[in-house]
Amino acid sequence: MKLLTFTILLCGSAWAQVQPQPAQPQNDVHVFPVQGNVSMLVGPGGNMTIQAGKDGIAVVDTQIAAAAPQVMAAIRKLSDTPIIWVINTSLDADHIGGNEALLRLGGSNEASLRARVVTHENVLDRLVKMGQARVADAASINDTYFRSPKDFLFNGEPVMVYHMPAAHTDGDSIVLFRKSDVISSGDLFTPDRYPVIDLPDGGSVQGLLDGLNRILEMAVAGKYQEGGTFVIPGHGRLCDEADVVEFRDMVTIIRDRVQDMIKKGMTLEQVKAGKPSRDYDTQYSGSPDVFVESIYKSLVTSGKR
Amino acid sequence: MSKSTVLVLSAALLGAPVFAQVDFSGEWAPLYHENGPERLPGPELGDYTELPINDAARLRADSWDADRISVVEQYQCRPHGSDYALRGLGNMRVTRDIDPATQRLMAFHTHMLAWDSDRTIYMDGREHPPAYANHTWQGFSTAVWEGNMLTVTTTHLKENYIRRNGVPRSDQATSTEHWMRHGDYLTVVTVIDDPVFLTEPLVRSDNWYLDPGQHIGIFGCEHAPELPKAEGVVPHHLPGTNPYLREISEWYGIPYEATRGGAETLYPEYRLKLNGYKAPPKCDRYCTCTTLFDCQLR
Amino acid sequence: MTKYLLAWVAIATAYAQLGPAPAKAKPPRSAKEAAPVDFTGYWVSVVTEDWRWRMVTPAKGDFASIPLNAAGRTAGNAWDPAKDEAAGEQCRAYGAPAVMRIPGRVHITWADDNTLQIDTDQGTQARLLHFGGKPPQGIAGSWQGYSVAQWEPPVRGVQSPQQGLGATREGTRGRSLEVVTTGLRPGYLRKNGPPYSANTVLKEFFDLSVERNGDPWFVVTTIVEDPQNLTEPFVTSTNFKKQRDAAGFSPTACSAR
Repeated sequence: MKLLTFTILLCGSAWAQVQPQPAQPQNDVHVFPVQGNVSMLVGPGGNMTIQAGKDGIAVVDTQIAAAAPQVMAAIRKLSDTPIIWVINTSLDADHIGGNEALLRLGGSNEASLRARVVTHENVLDRLVKMGQARVADAASINDTYFRSPKDFLFNGEPVMVYHMPAAHTDGDSIVLFRKSDVISSGDLFTPDRYPVIDLPDGGSVQGLLDGLNRILEMAVAGKYQEGGTFVIPGHGRLCDEADVVEFRDMVTIIRDRVQDMIKKGMTLEQVKAGKPSRDYDTQYSGSPDVFVESIYKSLVTSGKR
Repeated sequence: MSKSTVLVLSAALLGAPVFAQVDFSGEWAPLYHENGPERLPGPELGDYTELPINDAARLRADSWDADRISVVEQYQCRPHGSDYALRGLGNMRVTRDIDPATQRLMAFHTHMLAWDSDRTIYMDGREHPPAYANHTWQGFSTAVWEGNMLTVTTTHLKENYIRRNGVPRSDQATSTEHWMRHGDYLTVVTVIDDPVFLTEPLVRSDNWYLDPGQHIGIFGCEHAPELPKAEGVVPHHLPGTNPYLREISEWYGIPYEATRGGAETLYPEYRLKLNGYKAPPKCDRYCTCTTLFDCQLR
Repeated sequence: MTKYLLAWVAIATAYAQLGPAPAKAKPPRSAKEAAPVDFTGYWVSVVTEDWRWRMVTPAKGDFASIPLNAAGRTAGNAWDPAKDEAAGEQCRAYGAPAVMRIPGRVHITWADDNTLQIDTDQGTQARLLHFGGKPPQGIAGSWQGYSVAQWEPPVRGVQSPQQGLGATREGTRGRSLEVVTTGLRPGYLRKNGPPYSANTVLKEFFDLSVERNGDPWFVVTTIVEDPQNLTEPFVTSTNFKKQRDAAGFSPTACSAR
């Protein structure tokens, strides 16, 4: 009987109608190799970038603290070396919240290998001003830069951290892994949802567009505009230059429409009622009203009417 | 059940014969006996007929400016997606992979003339990549046999179009194809499910004939700045400003509402709403058009 | 255990060398019994191709996509719907080579166990697809001609016991309906007059699919061979979606306009 069961199981390979894999549950953590030394880690707080090699591990963004054990377990599938570099692309809690917890689990105990946690100086400035609410996040940062790019050699490749001023926030960084040919964009680029233009934290629509255009300058597509430089977004699927173009075009077109409506003297409520993003609302998640409002206010305060 | 019975049964199952398949391999030349003017010289601006599109798709298409293809450098060498490629310059070569150890068909490969596009259609039952994997122009295709028909499922397509006058197809679409070979004719039915831009599946079909003498050359494309422009300019029409949308209605006498497409316009009863149709006295646009070489405007 | 394993391997290897068991003689089944798929029911054509040549009558001389030769073009340019009406020839565009392209609904039934019937609401035409046999000699041409049908046989060679050391083929089980129609009366490939002659041979393949949302569809690939008017066979494929019932089936007389 055992042999029959075994045989039936062995032969049970009937053709099945293939369905695409369903979307992953929210609290799952998955590692997806990209190219070179770089992998993408997908988790409840969005995406992380992992570069691993004999020198250790560099991570871009750290998710939320609660996910640290799962994140570390996923990282350990790639390497058992310690985390040496942490680069935070912005001050968002889902990008920086896991700094301390992750380093407790994956950093080195040796003082000489203590991890460097890098942000643009504007990130630390703002976190300090936020006081008790973000004190832990502020305390986790031990290295800031103000002149762009900040660069270092790690695992045999140049790692370059660029500041993108006044974009999603005024402290955004994108990271280029030059030999692996991968860019981590943080929330500058989110192919499945409208971008957040965090006006109180210094974001602006023009800065966002400048940042996207900068990514397009840096990226080099493969044959027929596919592959080549890969871009790991803050949230959403792995992308390349062509995907960034679509997103940049979306922001540009909606910005242009809002700008035209402002020129016609329309108020914010009138602009929102005109639904300038309505042909993108079925494609991008997030609140169209919030996105349109942030563009409106950004244009009005910058004087670009 | 005795041990010997189990033994014979299991041997029979494990020893089951391995299979070869109906073969789509060969050089296939496309037939443009349907929608010739749209597929060859290209669709008219504002022509959304025969498409079950929603308002979002309509506005996207109304906003589309053909200048974008040259002004935005990254569009210059952008290929058709694997779904639209079957309708365009569709000279196609199909080859197949046979596993030498098992003699099983592992995959079909298609090579299209346009943009030298190569696609693999996996026949080995593998799963599609996860939702967070990168998308490509050709997508990720797997297939199963349904009798003598091959049913192909493609996911992970990059954003592209269902008509190259700006009517979009999103990156959330799934394309299903049914391949049928009857002698030297190949028919492929393509079904596009797009929750972003379509209100119901778009079902179209295309035909090829076997042309062993066909030679597909290199298409080639190199992108280069063609126009001096300000950084980040994206040509588009603001809502309500596209001046070309009524041309097709004027040229062909079709009521403007019908040219806007939508599922209602696809069904026979819609003809009762076409009272405003007045055919031009005679044809004066693309009156022939079955190949690239006989498709003249006038 | 070892001897069982060795016996198992030997049996498996021997079995793999065998061809398919020789078929036992069975009494011939009717076409209806032998049908690998079911085309019966009500179907609606969904016009996602050639919309402006099908949903409306195109302008005179608009023959885009049809491989007409010079003779065909000359004849097509002489199209005169008033003349056709006067001659009682309103149904010229509803002949078998064209009727499936006219936006409408069809009702497919078994007229008998060996005859599939397609009734079209547009033009109220009835097509009879006869399984087996040949067209009778000397019949007068008609709009629908005489159609000989078969379930498309599998790819040549699959029945041979010699092929592939016992391997059988996948992807050969025929499920297509193949129809050849002759005995046609001259008609039009479209409403605006591109002609086909009485010598036309019409070949069609009907294929069924069920889509992701559960909707059955069929596609009919139509190959019109008419060297008198065409430079090459005219090939189109028309898609129909199944309906639950007869809703919308609206018998409408032929129109020459």
